[in-house]
Amino acid sequence: MSRTNHIMKCLGSSALVLALSAAGAQAAPKRVSGAKPVNCVACHGKEQVLPADHPKLANMKLASCRECHVKGDVSSLDGKLPLSHKHLLAGLTCAKCHGKAKKQEPVDFQVCVGCHEPEKLAQTTSAVRPQNPHTSRHYGTALDCNACHHQHAKSEDFCGQCHKFQFKLP
Amino acid sequence: MTGDSLTLIVLVSITPADRAITREEGSMSDEVVQEAEVTRRGFLKSTGAAAALAGLALTGLTARESQAAVAGIPKKWDASCDVLVIGTGFAGLAAALEAKSAGAEVLVLEKMRTHGGNSIINGGDFAVAGNRFQKEAGIKDSAEQMVKDMMKAGGDLNHPALARAVAEQSLESLEWCEKFVGAQFGRLNFHGGHSVKRSVQTENASGSGLVNPMLAKAKSLGVKFQFTTKMERLIADPQGRIVGVEVRKGYRFPDEKSGKVAFIKARRAVVLASGGFSQNVELRQIQDPRLDGRFDSTNHSGATGEALLAACLAGAMDVQMDWIQCGPWTSPDEKGFGHVPQFCERIVGYAPMVDPVTGKRFIKETGNRKVRADAIMQLGHPVLIFGDTVNVNRQVLPETLNKGLENGSIRKFDTLEELARHYSVPVAAMLEEVAKWNSYVEKRKDPEFDCMIFANSTPTVQAPFYAARLWPRVHHTMGGLVINDKAQVKGFNLKTMKGLYAAGEVTGGVHGAVRLGSVAMADCVVFGRIAGRNAAQEKPWG
Repeated sequence: MSRTNHIMKCLGSSALVLALSAAGAQAAPKRVSGAKPVNCVACHGKEQVLPADHPKLANMKLASCRECHVKGDVSSLDGKLPLSHKHLLAGLTCAKCHGKAKKQEPVDFQVCVGCHEPEKLAQTTSAVRPQNPHTSRHYGTALDCNACHHQHAKSEDFCGQCHKFQFKLP
Repeated sequence: MTGDSLTLIVLVSITPADRAITREEGSMSDEVVQEAEVTRRGFLKSTGAAAALAGLALTGLTARESQAAVAGIPKKWDASCDVLVIGTGFAGLAAALEAKSAGAEVLVLEKMRTHGGNSIINGGDFAVAGNRFQKEAGIKDSAEQMVKDMMKAGGDLNHPALARAVAEQSLESLEWCEKFVGAQFGRLNFHGGHSVKRSVQTENASGSGLVNPMLAKAKSLGVKFQFTTKMERLIADPQGRIVGVEVRKGYRFPDEKSGKVAFIKARRAVVLASGGFSQNVELRQIQDPRLDGRFDSTNHSGATGEALLAACLAGAMDVQMDWIQCGPWTSPDEKGFGHVPQFCERIVGYAPMVDPVTGKRFIKETGNRKVRADAIMQLGHPVLIFGDTVNVNRQVLPETLNKGLENGSIRKFDTLEELARHYSVPVAAMLEEVAKWNSYVEKRKDPEFDCMIFANSTPTVQAPFYAARLWPRVHHTMGGLVINDKAQVKGFNLKTMKGLYAAGEVTGGVHGAVRLGSVAMADCVVFGRIAGRNAAQEKPWG
């Protein structure tokens, strides 16, 4: 490799790194509470959040997304779309969980439980091995959903601190 | 600490606590000069200052600024209560329940998102001298015997009044857990180092079997809880009385900058029940340099000891911080505490433990944790414990066995030869060792290592055989804050600190050099209750 080529190559890769870090450093999206779920620009501004060839969202609901993004398939939205977006697409506006208070607080476990009944949830995942993720010897079914399922950040395997269950999280 | 909180500090004076820190720093440097040979005593003395210095480093303040911070009382409190409890494990919840029962308004802070700390992931074994399960099994025991066992394991470094309090009040505390809290206990277990089977286990074989009913009871009585709230600093008045704490609300472990500064007033007292520091690699290495990052810990990730250091900065004295216990029964083949401890501990005295390199036994299987962990660490590689189907199925809970088999930490073999080959143990040597062990079991006496052989123990002969590898993990920090038998914290001025109590793993002295298995639960419940009762009796300062 000639010296020039080598330099070009180095420059190229560092330019790429710069570009990547610039993308990573993009300001966190605003959380506009009144935004329609299909109005990405309201919160994300000019940042391109969908692939260029993605169909127009128009009035899509979560069910319409799932026509292409099949659960359990590589196309699944699990781990790609924040859960808050799924909630929003399913018709749950910010206020429905957070309320209308001017100073917003994190959502209490009891609010989640209003729709996601813990006992029922544990039944639906009772076949998951090696451990049912929705019940445990430590917490029974009383563990806060937010221990694993974050809405505005990537979800995490809370049990993974001590166990190797390797749960895949939506 | 942010600029915001500093603007709220109105009083700057040198308290006895400040002087204590200065003096201790001085004494440490004296020792460095004078003691060419580092004696155990000198090392113990110096750890107090080391802890204080580590604390200073954590807060990012200079010593001068920190001393000022110790004395700062905010103009305005964001919240108030009679008794403020730090931590939601056995000790914190026991303190909260007792303080509430005594009529105090109680607020409990927890830095993590979930309750229970290490207590909710522990094995649920509670050492109780003279319990009803022992009586049913015809086992004679007494508080005196339990103290003897604790002191023997602890190398007589236990503070006798504290050890006695735990043993003498263990029975009453178990009854309180059952009758008042509503927890259920179902079986009697043996733990290494005890002279008899003494440990009563929760029905679900987890500390959650006590923590969860405690939390539910506390909530039903009106105890208030605040999660993701980390105590950063104890606040003292100019006379040194603890009057409240500075916290970070909305703290997200382990982001030390997360959350907002707030001040909580404790009218009667603060009870520290914040646990130990097994997960703080830097601090534990200051105390015991062997315990570097190569050693995993059985503890929950939040067992990092900042509250303990904050207490030292406020003038509390620490003791025996370098006695850090490694659990000898954890497996390198699974994460965290895992299932193997409940496999290993149920079959010691029923099954041999061998060094896979020689195929020979190397230690008293029923010895205390330190003896065994040190022996394994000295060998420098994981060791093996294995039992036959008769002993294993009699002693080990089916769920433990199944889960261990499922995650691969426990393995099943049709023959001992197959077992030996799997772990690359010299076959003939191991078979010879098993034959020897079996002869000891027949005679109920182990002339080699003096392992306790239980009355119902049978020779290791019946297939299938179950085996697990063992490698120690950092498990419990015996040292911590100095308390008296009223759970009052002592300062470096050798006086009790007004308005400050502590209980559980954040304290030191109960266990001396080595904590016996299942005595942590007894310690936490007994001293948590003492701390809560006494905290509620303090005269409100304002």
